[in-house]
Amino acid sequence: MSKRNTPPLRSSGINTIQINAAREMHAQTVRARRMPMPTSGITTPSVQPTAAPATPPRHICNNPNNPQCLHCGSVIIPSPRATLPLEDNPSISINDWTISSRKKPILNSQELDIWENEKLKGLTLPEMIFGNNYIRIENSKQHWSIEFNALDALKEVQLQDSGIRVAYSNDWINSKKRQNSTNGAQRFTNDVNDDSLNIIHKYDWTYTTRYKGTESSPESKFRLDNDQKLPLDKLAVHDKILFYDDMILFEDELADNGISILNVKIRVMNERLLLLSRFFLRVDDVLVRVYDTRIYVEFDENVVIRESKEFEGKYQDVLAKHRLSQSHDPKAALRDSNWVAQNTPMIKRQCEIIQF
Amino acid sequence: MDMEIDDPMHGSDEDQLSPTLDEDMNSDDGKNNTKARSNDEDTDEELEDFNFKPGSSGIADHKSSKPLKLTNTNINQLDQWIEHLSKCEPLSEDDVARLCKMAVDVLQFEENVKPINVPVTICGDVHGQFHDLLELFKIGGPCPDTNYLFMGDYVDRGYYSVETVSYLVAMKVRYPHRITILRGNHESRQITQVYGFYDECLRKYGSANVWKMFTDLFDYFPVTALVDNKIFCLHGGLSPMIETIDQVRDLNRIQEVPHEGPMCDLLWSDPDDRGGWGISPRGAGFTFGQDISEQFNHTNDLSLIARAHQLVMEGYSWSHQQNVVTIFSAPNYCYRCGNQAAIMEVDENHNRQFLQYDPSVRPGEPTVTRKTPDYFL
Repeated sequence: MSKRNTPPLRSSGINTIQINAAREMHAQTVRARRMPMPTSGITTPSVQPTAAPATPPRHICNNPNNPQCLHCGSVIIPSPRATLPLEDNPSISINDWTISSRKKPILNSQELDIWENEKLKGLTLPEMIFGNNYIRIENSKQHWSIEFNALDALKEVQLQDSGIRVAYSNDWINSKKRQNSTNGAQRFTNDVNDDSLNIIHKYDWTYTTRYKGTESSPESKFRLDNDQKLPLDKLAVHDKILFYDDMILFEDELADNGISILNVKIRVMNERLLLLSRFFLRVDDVLVRVYDTRIYVEFDENVVIRESKEFEGKYQDVLAKHRLSQSHDPKAALRDSNWVAQNTPMIKRQCEIIQF
Repeated sequence: MDMEIDDPMHGSDEDQLSPTLDEDMNSDDGKNNTKARSNDEDTDEELEDFNFKPGSSGIADHKSSKPLKLTNTNINQLDQWIEHLSKCEPLSEDDVARLCKMAVDVLQFEENVKPINVPVTICGDVHGQFHDLLELFKIGGPCPDTNYLFMGDYVDRGYYSVETVSYLVAMKVRYPHRITILRGNHESRQITQVYGFYDECLRKYGSANVWKMFTDLFDYFPVTALVDNKIFCLHGGLSPMIETIDQVRDLNRIQEVPHEGPMCDLLWSDPDDRGGWGISPRGAGFTFGQDISEQFNHTNDLSLIARAHQLVMEGYSWSHQQNVVTIFSAPNYCYRCGNQAAIMEVDENHNRQFLQYDPSVRPGEPTVTRKTPDYFL
């Protein structure tokens, strides 16, 4: 992407429309937050909370701008995504744990210049960077936190060629070389010689990242223990969700050759939370890749489990599984990272634990 | 983009959907006018391939040898369609077929380099964000009072690609000299199968017939425009095989967008800070440096290259010392980027002014989609 100049101030005559639109949109956003929470779309009936009704709720909602929680009357639902540079920073506290998140628009030109020239020098940046977004899980008593953000995730992208090419790359390169031979007799100033037909950018254009979160401690407090498992039985219970957020950290459409996207989401219940950070890569007609990191916290036991899994497969192999299911639009499934993860071989799993 | 969760229009699929798509669809030169058998449910692979070949929709059969004449009947019909589409309601399949046939008889007579006079308002990607397209016309002024030039990418990613492209094509047929619609890299069979337009046509029409009609029509879109012989407009960027605008005029544009060659480059290439011609690290596609755009502008006596194709947070972005400008006209792109959109007004004296705007606000609806908390594992 080309370097961006700071755009000049907006021309006169447009500002009124902008201001009015901004006011109206802000009002819409605030109004949306104050709407009563719709009935959950979950078809399975929720299990009643284990806490007795008379027991006061132990969670604390830390942001008064969000819609009301039907459970305790306070607000805990994160805000809708803003379309103006609005910012919301909802959070919730249970015992010594505080979970917070922030969502803002993609980086603007000035921010991109700083990231491009200083923070991530050498990496051509992905097209959409939600560089001000994060989800953070913090234990104040232990002075420890883990955060998921775009900058640290992109720092894990390799500054060397991944070796991956789009499906038609060989045809494209070879046609250029044939044209050079044909045009040998009449050389133009703009001619692309064979030296130019070498890829000069040195970075992983798929933006593959094995990012597993950023801990506040200088050294990781996690201990490797691959025998550990996430307690799926507890997570399968539909305990009341007290806090939920879902956001993208970065996304690139690979110049319309697929998608590379890092998404992180979190759900917090009365006794535990689950966070999923998912990197999803699809290079059309070439490969699919899903790298998952899950963080599980048990609040009363002060246990943190981190499980990471890597799935990878050839595009055509994964697509073939969906064609067998008689679908009408087979490529739609390959836009669904959940489906892809379930239908792609797992090539690596690792589990780590913290017991405070 | 996970469209299933966010799409407010999402409903259950109907039973009679079209056969499974053949991935290795051929990219013919577009001259195949064989009539397709409509509603053919045969799953034989050869027939699938046949049904998705360029020309299979039949809208380019019986092309006229003269440009479409706007009669009172045509005008009334087009005005009715435009009025219908303004409410963001899709046309019926029959009406789409009639509209596309009329559009072929307008677009086939346009040059590869469409000449345009000032004043004109130049627009970038729209990507199916229909309500934001209406907002664009509010900001820039209604057509035909204002002349418009759109530089491609009307479909994919947004929820309303069908309404968006139908509206722009109807406006083009209704006011052929007031609005110009160029081809973007998303106006192609292969791209629209991956990025949403095909899926949307299946959902809204129950078969791929409308998708076939539009993708056959896309082959007739002009690829570049020239504003007062001074501003060269196109979707992507330059090509090492194109040194003069006359070479663009000589291209055979009526085909599926190829994977390589000058037509591919015009719809896919990007400007770069590095000089000269470069190859994208993805292994295909060119980047061009400032020396290239300066030389092209000098050789062709141009003042500016205007292009779209790339997301810009502020809606427009200069590069190559004002030799190239990128214009992006889909605000809050993918309904989550929070970016502005922009259009560029060029007046009679070639003064340029950028109008930036935000997403449309529809009364009674929240501005963004809210997701229900999800018991993901």
